[in-house]
Amino acid sequence: MTPYVPGTPLLVVEGLVKLFPGRRRGLFGPRSTIHAVDGADFTLARGETLGIVGESGSGKTTLARTLLRLQTANAGRALLDGEDIFTASPAALKRLRRRMQVVLQDPYQAFNPRFTVSDIIAEAWRIHPDVLPRADWSRRTAELLEQVGLRASYGSRHPHEFSGGQRQRIGIARALALGPDLLVCDEPVSALDVSVQAQVVNLLAEIQRTRNLSMIFVAHDLAVVRHISHRVAVMYLGKIVEIGTSEAVFERATHPYTQALLSAVPVADPVGREQRRRIVLRGDPPSPAAPPSGCRFRTRCWKATERCAAEEPALLDRLGTGSISACHHAGLQTSASGGS
Amino acid sequence: MTLDPRGSILDIRDLHVSFRTSGSPVTVLNGVTFQVARGEVLALLGESGSGKSVTAAATMGLIEQPPGSIDRGAILFDGVNLLGLSPADHRRLCGERLSLVFQDALAALNPVYPVGWQIAEVFRIHGRADRKTAALESIKLMEAVGIPAAAERAGHYPHQFSGGMCQRIMIAMAIALQPELIIADEPTTALDVTIQAQIVELLKALRARTGASLVLITHDLGLVAELADRVVVMYGGRVVEEAGVHDIFARPLHPYTQALLASQPRMDRSNAELRPIRGIPPNPAAPLTGCAFHPRCPRAEARCAQEAPADQMIAPGRRSACHFAAEMLA
Repeated sequence: MTPYVPGTPLLVVEGLVKLFPGRRRGLFGPRSTIHAVDGADFTLARGETLGIVGESGSGKTTLARTLLRLQTANAGRALLDGEDIFTASPAALKRLRRRMQVVLQDPYQAFNPRFTVSDIIAEAWRIHPDVLPRADWSRRTAELLEQVGLRASYGSRHPHEFSGGQRQRIGIARALALGPDLLVCDEPVSALDVSVQAQVVNLLAEIQRTRNLSMIFVAHDLAVVRHISHRVAVMYLGKIVEIGTSEAVFERATHPYTQALLSAVPVADPVGREQRRRIVLRGDPPSPAAPPSGCRFRTRCWKATERCAAEEPALLDRLGTGSISACHHAGLQTSASGGS
Repeated sequence: MTLDPRGSILDIRDLHVSFRTSGSPVTVLNGVTFQVARGEVLALLGESGSGKSVTAAATMGLIEQPPGSIDRGAILFDGVNLLGLSPADHRRLCGERLSLVFQDALAALNPVYPVGWQIAEVFRIHGRADRKTAALESIKLMEAVGIPAAAERAGHYPHQFSGGMCQRIMIAMAIALQPELIIADEPTTALDVTIQAQIVELLKALRARTGASLVLITHDLGLVAELADRVVVMYGGRVVEEAGVHDIFARPLHPYTQALLASQPRMDRSNAELRPIRGIPPNPAAPLTGCAFHPRCPRAEARCAQEAPADQMIAPGRRSACHFAAEMLA
């Protein structure tokens, strides 16, 4: 497999596996295992935004959290500039964490309510004292607040005094305090009012561009992901089923699940809605505790054959279109295809 | 879309609702007026706090008084003012002739009763069928909303169903007595996109089959474009615009609607520029003078901060509450 690499990679992820203990089968039976992420491989270049999309239970948030070592991977490597995040010693991990920061869906829950905004931002420098001398804290806090579109005077206020959009801006300022190379955003706009989402999306895109940050952008909103990402990975039941440039995935998807997912999103344009073709998948995703054999999507796939049950498809560029997908029957969607 | 000659099934006039929690009452609906024609799908589009769910709650008689208070206005259902009915009469109507589908189906279902029993309850409460017939009817309804192995599944409890299946059960309850009006409050917001598509298809099919009117409450422009015949846009407890679905998307005549459309990324377009709406949604506890949108509006003039714009009819079937609506049309 040769992943598409637009520049020098900052992050290389190989064979990432994260399992969770599941429910016991019966009173004394063995515990099942939930394969939240089951072997993820990808790279992230400097200055690149990788969008990760998928439905609930697909493993996208687990992938992000495992990369940050907020939970321990069961297998695999994640190399940040060649250094493995998963095996780093506590001291080395602290050094790595300075370079990778997180923006959460609801930063309010992560803020100490008794801290002022300045305290929240400066806490990063308290933990990493060699980053910035104390004398510069207030000047730098003011700069960061202005960069995220807040007044410098807000530093003395408490988080409860702010709206959702403003809190997310504070969360972004906090994440930028250490000057990270990698920003992991987990559903950063999905808790915001629709009229405010675009403000935060534009802010993240601008910060990514001006600082040449690498960004992992996890979201279920496909339109937002398309807007902000250079490349996109689509996850289904713990597997990356398709990965490619934003254009390749959104315009020329070759995995049936990606095609179904894209066609399911309602388009904000009533013109021609009667003619629009939609692939409606049957049923619900299977349980990640007992994923189907072979291809995990086969139970809902209209292209499934015997081979799909027997043999797990590898992530390959089968059509030479630059979109890498894990499907034995990968193909561009034609007007004749579609389950509906 | 013209109004059905049989007239409107729901006619909400100048509805004012406030809530008193601590201190002075907070006005959440400030003169809401719109009609729903028979057989149409009307989308009530707005963000959290715009008043769209309170409008639904008032219609269904679900506003607890106190702390809520319906200060003024009328809600006419087939000519009868629901606000003048006794709670018992209101309840009888709800379920029989109008029904509600909630956003969070799992929370709306009773966790300790099997789902078949809960659907059958609708028939029993309204005295439509005995236990046995009600149970059979509930299985038929589960089949109608696409639940596989309905006879067996009727004995299962809500937690044994996925979110999409729970929503189907809610819909089965809502259509049980063949109401003339169904209000669906964010029916797909809590669902994954492929499951959302299933529910949208189900709503379309039911609409074609039953001919009931549907009020779709949502903040999702895609869902509106997909399902609605007509759109009522709410902002800050008021209706700011009303138009047919094609006009709303092709030529919105209120700056809020225009800004909302320009701020949303679209799946079918790459990297078109997002133009955010500046500022934050209005706080009902700190009401503004003039137009509620004026602090965020690119067109605002001094007048907008002082004078609340009248709800003007600008063209047949088109209303806009903006001082500049007529200019925008020209």
